Amino acid sequence: MNDMIEAVRLVLAWDVLIAIMASAVYGLVVGSLPGLSATMATALLVPVTFYLSPIAAIATIITASAMAIFSGDIPGCLLRIPGTPASAAYTDEAYAMTRKGQAELALGAGLWFSAIGGIVGTISLVVMAPMLAEMALSFSTYEYFWLAFLGLMCATLVARSSPIKAIASMLLGLLFACIGMENPAGTPRFVFGVTNLLGGIEPIPALVGVFAVSEVMRAMVTAAPPKLPDRKFGSILKGQWGLTKKYQWQMWRGNIVGIIIGVLPGAGADMAAWVSYAMSKKWSKEPEKFGTGHVEGLVEAGASNNASLASGWVPALLFGIPGDTITAIAIGVLYMKGLNPGPTLFTERASSMYALYIIFVLANIIMIPLGIAMIRLASRILRAPRSSVMPVIILLCAVGAFATGANLFSVFLVGVFGCVGYVMERNGYPVAALVLGIVMGSMVEQNFITSLIKSDGNPLPFIERPVSAVLASLTLGALLWPAGVWVFNRMQRRRAAA
Amino acid sequence: MQLSDRITGLFLAGLGLAAAWGGSRLPAVPGQDVGPAAFPMLIGGGLILCGVMIAFGIGHSFEVPEEAEDERHSSAYGLRALLPPGLLLFYALAVDHLGFMLTAAFIVASAALALGAKPKLAVPLAIGAPIFVHAVFAKLLRVPLADGILPAFW
Amino acid sequence: MTDLSRRTLLGASAAAAVAAPLATPAMAQPRWPARPVQMLCPWAAGGGTDAVLRMSAILLEKELGQPFNVVNRTGGSGVVGHAAISQAAPDGYTLGMITAEICMLHWQGLTEITYRNYTPLGLMNNDAPGVTVNVNSPYRDVKALAEAIKASRPGQLKASGTGQGGIWHLALAGWLNAMGLKADHVRWVPSNGAAPAMQDLAAGGLDFTTCSIPEARAMLDANRARALAVMAPARVSAFPAIPTLKEAMGLDYNNGAWRGIAGPPGLPAPVAQAMEAALDKVFKSKDYQDFLLSRGFGAVYESAAGFARHLAAADISLGNSMKEAGLAK
Repeated sequence: MNDMIEAVRLVLAWDVLIAIMASAVYGLVVGSLPGLSATMATALLVPVTFYLSPIAAIATIITASAMAIFSGDIPGCLLRIPGTPASAAYTDEAYAMTRKGQAELALGAGLWFSAIGGIVGTISLVVMAPMLAEMALSFSTYEYFWLAFLGLMCATLVARSSPIKAIASMLLGLLFACIGMENPAGTPRFVFGVTNLLGGIEPIPALVGVFAVSEVMRAMVTAAPPKLPDRKFGSILKGQWGLTKKYQWQMWRGNIVGIIIGVLPGAGADMAAWVSYAMSKKWSKEPEKFGTGHVEGLVEAGASNNASLASGWVPALLFGIPGDTITAIAIGVLYMKGLNPGPTLFTERASSMYALYIIFVLANIIMIPLGIAMIRLASRILRAPRSSVMPVIILLCAVGAFATGANLFSVFLVGVFGCVGYVMERNGYPVAALVLGIVMGSMVEQNFITSLIKSDGNPLPFIERPVSAVLASLTLGALLWPAGVWVFNRMQRRRAAA
Repeated sequence: MQLSDRITGLFLAGLGLAAAWGGSRLPAVPGQDVGPAAFPMLIGGGLILCGVMIAFGIGHSFEVPEEAEDERHSSAYGLRALLPPGLLLFYALAVDHLGFMLTAAFIVASAALALGAKPKLAVPLAIGAPIFVHAVFAKLLRVPLADGILPAFW
Repeated sequence: MTDLSRRTLLGASAAAAVAAPLATPAMAQPRWPARPVQMLCPWAAGGGTDAVLRMSAILLEKELGQPFNVVNRTGGSGVVGHAAISQAAPDGYTLGMITAEICMLHWQGLTEITYRNYTPLGLMNNDAPGVTVNVNSPYRDVKALAEAIKASRPGQLKASGTGQGGIWHLALAGWLNAMGLKADHVRWVPSNGAAPAMQDLAAGGLDFTTCSIPEARAMLDANRARALAVMAPARVSAFPAIPTLKEAMGLDYNNGAWRGIAGPPGLPAPVAQAMEAALDKVFKSKDYQDFLLSRGFGAVYESAAGFARHLAAADISLGNSMKEAGLAK
């Protein structure tokens, strides 16, 4: 109990509160800029944390990353430009809602269910950290291989197009991910002598290119859409309680899936949103509405997204193993501030740990009022003429891509991916699947190849360990299910015809 | 750029073939049985399969018809789509020499004019947007934007 | 906080006192640094190199009175950032941190750049590889593990710690060679760095890892892994309980991931001298030493001339290890 009181005292220090507020605003702004991800927002904070007290330093990282993940939804919803790889999963859905005049419902759902997901994720961190950590540590490369494979299969579910074209797009993304020398063998592949390609294709320039630049390219050849009726932007939170009740089951499923995927190092928030959106569609009562501006998938994916962010801290705090790039940066800051990760952090520095939990909850609560303000501000864009918004987007794409690695080659890559995305879209290839392939590529290959090396080429260890056996049968089931349905329907039709 | 499924499918199959061939020529790694070749060959194989299926129109029935392109204009009008990537290329090549302010102003102005903005809108935008972006990125986020011949005035 | 600012003032005035006589001959030019200095980091934010460089940059700012901004120029296993440092304009306003990889990449044919394409300014840290096993592993000490390795058939045991041909892979190869075995007697499982390797070790997927002790630290603290030895000439001050290879099995094999600050070739002499003096102060400062100790980083320092000798020696020894392991082109 003393630890708890001490923790409250630590958080209520004025420097911590200022740090939380400032980094909340910062995270919201950076996350909402196209081309800047939550990872970028966190990385750019590292130099600032040097000057802060340990609790304030961690508070800035926690708050800024939670805010940036949420506000990544804003440009995605309003302009079809996802702010983070995670929001790429449901960008098209949210944008379709904006075009139906339901931007406030889409953004409100993103905000509300992000906050709930964040808080549920924090509770899981408080209550089940040791148990979750145990689960994460039972994952070897075999289990990761199956998990990544399942993640890739989401490509076929997320897209509203022919499943074959979705798989082709996903494979194209995997092929892009082969470029460079960041593969298990460390061999340069498909670099054609270009030094800048040695590092491979980063997801951010690809993401910005296929969504944002291709959208501007489309604007160049189409007439301006009719202006949205100039009406007052409705209440943002209105109706969220109704959605919470209506989609309660989806929300909890999103939270749980987010927690489980988030706690597995390397899978992270990016994958959680994809898997949850795909699951939502798969088990929805109205799957045909997905992709046309239907809020159900946003509820589940939004909740999953932020829940994974909180649970991603479990392996980071207990074993110093980063769940994603954000916690990788956070671990560096923890060490720097003398809060070395490990179980002793939970016992000897319990007050610091409680302070951390309080900050998580606090961040997710202030997300709601600040998020509403941000949404109101950002939604003015919808009223601005297209000829003033699109040029600024191009500029932001260029600068955002440059900022990811201080490298002008990324700006060039953004342009290339703009062309790729434009051609793909026009021909019915879903660009979201391409992004999924690029994001997951190195994880799939890494775990596939190292598993083969470890097993000396023997396939048995892939299915021999208990967790990998479960995951393998899940994958097989998901693969065979659509084929089975297709054959069954075909036979039915033939019988009907005969 | 609307192409028939036959063309895009065959293109993907060709790309898959090139990937598998390119992958197969990668050198093996000493001391390892599985090298860098395995994964590209696998993906290449998958792309060939998918490409051929697309070319033969399998799975076409699932597709939602695309909105038609604006047909009122000549085919040269479609080339306007290349302006945004062209401007990005210009940025990558010019920013180190011209500096961020001038390059950004040029990009914003030309994109705005191309989208039909009147000079009354385009000129203030071309002056204001670079200043705003520079303030956020260079000052707040400390991204090293090039100074060039016209450094930011702060 | 007050203590810190007082030290800042003292440091700054001391630096000014030292730098003043140096600057007199070049009065025509403004004293370096007259504006902020960019420090390039070839590795991502949040990693070990980033941490060491950022700590050095903050302390350099206190010494020299201008901001030292760290910019992460990542990609290509460090090739991109290392190239950017060596190709920067030699005006003293773009410097950076070079790491052990600069003496490895060119042997693999990944870049033309070698240590000769830099002006070395100071070696700031060196982390020695360790030998770590799962806590449930039957090997209680490094001798038992070595016996098991010698008794195993080639490729039977699996080890990891970093990517194929990375510094910890070379540590394994060098250790095996020192035992009189072939470099690939233990199969190397490439990983995306030390953290995933430690995770796989804890999940029971590997026999041992050869990453550095600070990288294995959290797993050691969590009692999921056991460190058997460190491949260093002396025990690491932050981990006094872990024996060296020499103590444990009489093998004198050392290796390490070192990090130092360098600039492009042809750096003006006043810049190099000012930096060398400042880095010497930075390394000896209490802030820097506390930082190294708290993270468990190895405190090893070399002045500009010593760093140059170190680079030349490391280039040859790493090159030899890589040739023996069949990793060099």
